[in-house]
Amino acid sequence: MSQSIQTQPPNNVSLLISQSRTNTLGNKTGTWRFVRPKYQEKTAPCSNACPLGIDVAMVEMFASRKDYQNALNTVLMENPFPAICGRVCFHPCESACNRQFLDQSVGIHHIERFIGHWGLNRTNISCKYPEFNGASIAIIGAGPAGLSVAYFARRLGYRCDIFEKSDNPGGLLKYGIPSYRLPDRILMDELHRLDDEGIQFKYAQSISMDQINALKQQYDALFLCCGDANSITLKISGEQFSIDGLDLLRQIRSNQMPLIEGTVAVIGGGNTAIDVARSVLRMGAHPVILYRRTRKEMPAHPHEIDAALSEGVLLKECLSPIDIQKNTNLFEVSFQRMKPGEKTNEGRQTYIPDGNRRETITFNHVVSAIGAEMDIMWRNELWDLSLSHCRMKKIEDQPVFWCGDLTTSEKTVTHALASGKQAVIAWDVMQNQKENEIHTICHQCQVGKGPALSFDIYTKGDRKNRNNTEIVKFEHVNTAYFPNIPAVQINKISQESCQNSFDEVISGFNESQMIEEATRCFNCGICNDCDTCRIFCPEMAIQWDNTTRHILMDYCKGCGICIEECPRDAMKLEVEP
Amino acid sequence: MKEVLEGSHAVSEAVRLARAKVISAYPITPQTHIVEALSEYCADGSLDARFICVESEHSAMASCIGAASAGVRTFTASSSHGLALMHELLHWASGARLPIVMAEVNRALGPGWNIWMDQSDSLSQRDTGWIQLYCETAQEVLDTTLQAYRLAETVNLPVMVVLDAFFLSHTYEPVDIPDQQSVDKFLPSFEPRISLDQQNPNAIGQMAPPAYYMEMRHSIQMAMQSVMEHFIDVERQFEHVFGRSYGPITPFACDDAQYIFLMAGTSASTCRQAINSLRDKGHKVGVIKLKMFRPFPYQDVRKILKHAKKVIVLDRNCSFGAGGIFAQELRSAMYASDRHPQIFSFISGLGGRDVTVDHFFEMFDRIEKADYPDDESVWIGLNP
Repeated sequence: MSQSIQTQPPNNVSLLISQSRTNTLGNKTGTWRFVRPKYQEKTAPCSNACPLGIDVAMVEMFASRKDYQNALNTVLMENPFPAICGRVCFHPCESACNRQFLDQSVGIHHIERFIGHWGLNRTNISCKYPEFNGASIAIIGAGPAGLSVAYFARRLGYRCDIFEKSDNPGGLLKYGIPSYRLPDRILMDELHRLDDEGIQFKYAQSISMDQINALKQQYDALFLCCGDANSITLKISGEQFSIDGLDLLRQIRSNQMPLIEGTVAVIGGGNTAIDVARSVLRMGAHPVILYRRTRKEMPAHPHEIDAALSEGVLLKECLSPIDIQKNTNLFEVSFQRMKPGEKTNEGRQTYIPDGNRRETITFNHVVSAIGAEMDIMWRNELWDLSLSHCRMKKIEDQPVFWCGDLTTSEKTVTHALASGKQAVIAWDVMQNQKENEIHTICHQCQVGKGPALSFDIYTKGDRKNRNNTEIVKFEHVNTAYFPNIPAVQINKISQESCQNSFDEVISGFNESQMIEEATRCFNCGICNDCDTCRIFCPEMAIQWDNTTRHILMDYCKGCGICIEECPRDAMKLEVEP
Repeated sequence: MKEVLEGSHAVSEAVRLARAKVISAYPITPQTHIVEALSEYCADGSLDARFICVESEHSAMASCIGAASAGVRTFTASSSHGLALMHELLHWASGARLPIVMAEVNRALGPGWNIWMDQSDSLSQRDTGWIQLYCETAQEVLDTTLQAYRLAETVNLPVMVVLDAFFLSHTYEPVDIPDQQSVDKFLPSFEPRISLDQQNPNAIGQMAPPAYYMEMRHSIQMAMQSVMEHFIDVERQFEHVFGRSYGPITPFACDDAQYIFLMAGTSASTCRQAINSLRDKGHKVGVIKLKMFRPFPYQDVRKILKHAKKVIVLDRNCSFGAGGIFAQELRSAMYASDRHPQIFSFISGLGGRDVTVDHFFEMFDRIEKADYPDDESVWIGLNP
């Protein structure tokens, strides 16, 4: 194995060193091995937290390389509207991001928005839908859930007809979310993704339960996506003097600006209450949010509450309205003061009346925004199928799916989109004569611990090769490869502009900011070709053939260095078979 | 061009002039200024070299070994605990016959934690196969560093240029900085005899079983034995270009001396003052400054000490259980000589304590009165 070489230097100094020109290929160090490394991609915590199960780690990888086409394709695989979700989603992905344990979470939603925006400007790459498969479905409601059903069903070859009671698509996206969060042109541009002869919108079609029977003669399945159309009322005396919050938002979005001035009471603590308050602020009024519990208990997203307060919205806590009196052009609202009561079994703080403490405040307007509920005609108790984000009942052997806000526990745009995806997968499984396997197949398509489903896995894409149940923990990220880098700060318009206009508040990342932020992503659980495994292999047993890496088992001695070094937990060690 | 330079920066200037290609070091007081300046030279482009920051001295030497194996001129510097941590790789550098040059700033080892001058660190590495050259002035530091590259590359052995902590490393002196052209003339670009070649792959530092190993060790010793001859040649060429030379040892007032001091480093300067005073009083004394310690200059030392009655060795180090290391080395050097003087061993100036002219007088008083040296080294300057 070894040979010594005598080099005779010109000056006659003795120089004898150990040197060999024999290579080490004969030394099959693989025989020492009792465990073996394997490339095994896993699930990132952001994907697990995303209701749509977007392959975030992969999106950020492509985005950081300026490969926007692949980044967009990866998002569109699971989410039809990245430019919308990048704006309105409350980004549970970022709350789960492993990077928060190092410095700060990656600004995933801003990156998604950038990628979505890149896609808007490129109509040539909108979805290529397949041939029709012969079946067709009817969708009731063109809100997020209905649009999602159409998008995913059309991708599986179904013809879709969408029945919408208004004259425009979008539902809540169009009429419920103020334009400073979602500009109309973004919504309209995103909806071009559904431009296809296989997706027909039928406007001004208000469908009642009675008409369902007629419709089901013409379609193979029905999807009810009509949302929570009815506002919950205050049920107090004088409630007729209050303006309905959702109605007000709808009027504003339809450019029928009602005259709102002076101080405005906004009753409620959810996202609608915040939207109303921030909207009337922009119309020159002075909104006061009145909530019967405290800020901590408000169901609205904390970011939204912060934004509202920073813009000048006032918040009064522990006030529950009991009466509204009209006094010429003003309204006197009486409130019962509330105080903390006992905690429920789930640990939730209850609030109870604080004796007889009352308070009366005079406002120019009173807006009620305490929530919405479904129309009573869609109520149903007995289901033939009940999944996390949708329900199905067979009416005369024909499947009718309840989707979106009718079924989801969290009433957000992203959950509504997820609902549509789940319902389409369940329906497709039924079409393939595997109705009794719906639960099993959904489980196979689950991202992380679920309930998010991956359309990529369902359609047998590359993601099915991943370990979809194992979620990468921060402890398994090799932080030696990640120096502390604070998150890129997002651009916002000025406080003054917020108070004067419905211009979009968050301006989004420019390209260099987006790349900087996407580069911060650990890419948990996926191989981004960093090559660390190959560089560190002491036996040079990892080979790169310009497309993939493979491990030469003749030489891999099972030391596990590649796994220890992998910055992102994309490998694992297995016992020798 | 003369400039007032810190001893540390005399090293840095020499390395820049030597056009080292890879510098790798880990900072440790009192060595830091050397590599700090070099890192600035790399950053400002005045030195076209790769500065490799590492997490330890062990890795610093490993980087130099790697770079030297690839056939480029390398440099590192260390001190005390840092040098101790390098120990394993010091053997590797010489065993692999790589001409690495290192500046070693003599500093004490802890505990008690001490950053000051002491020779224990470099002398602890005497058996690692490195050539060791001790310096006395900032000029000598600069000149020796340039010579070290020539010497190392001629004999394929690594060289340690040793300078006293603070007395030399942090003291400013006028230094003649040679121009690049002259340096290039004295020290042409490195033509390695060992270098990795991708076109002709080979492994170096392979396993050497009993049938091979001993010859390789013998080769190191043969190379060491040739050092003196090549050193003299290097110095001759250096003198030709720059007009300065030092010799493996520097005798002072030794021609008729009966009593001769011997030491390495900056204390030789103090000793010369003491010699002048003692000479004024009529004592026939002289001093040898030892520059080269490895290989040990037996012949030169024997020649000067041939007619001396007594030799007074100052060690700023102690091999515990055996005494001053220079004294031991000198005893073994003189043993084979047909005439050998009595050798008195003194230990003083450990951990940066000053060795003063009075200390030399005290040593002289003691040996003048003594018939025979003590078995054990005598410690001078201990607190009462």
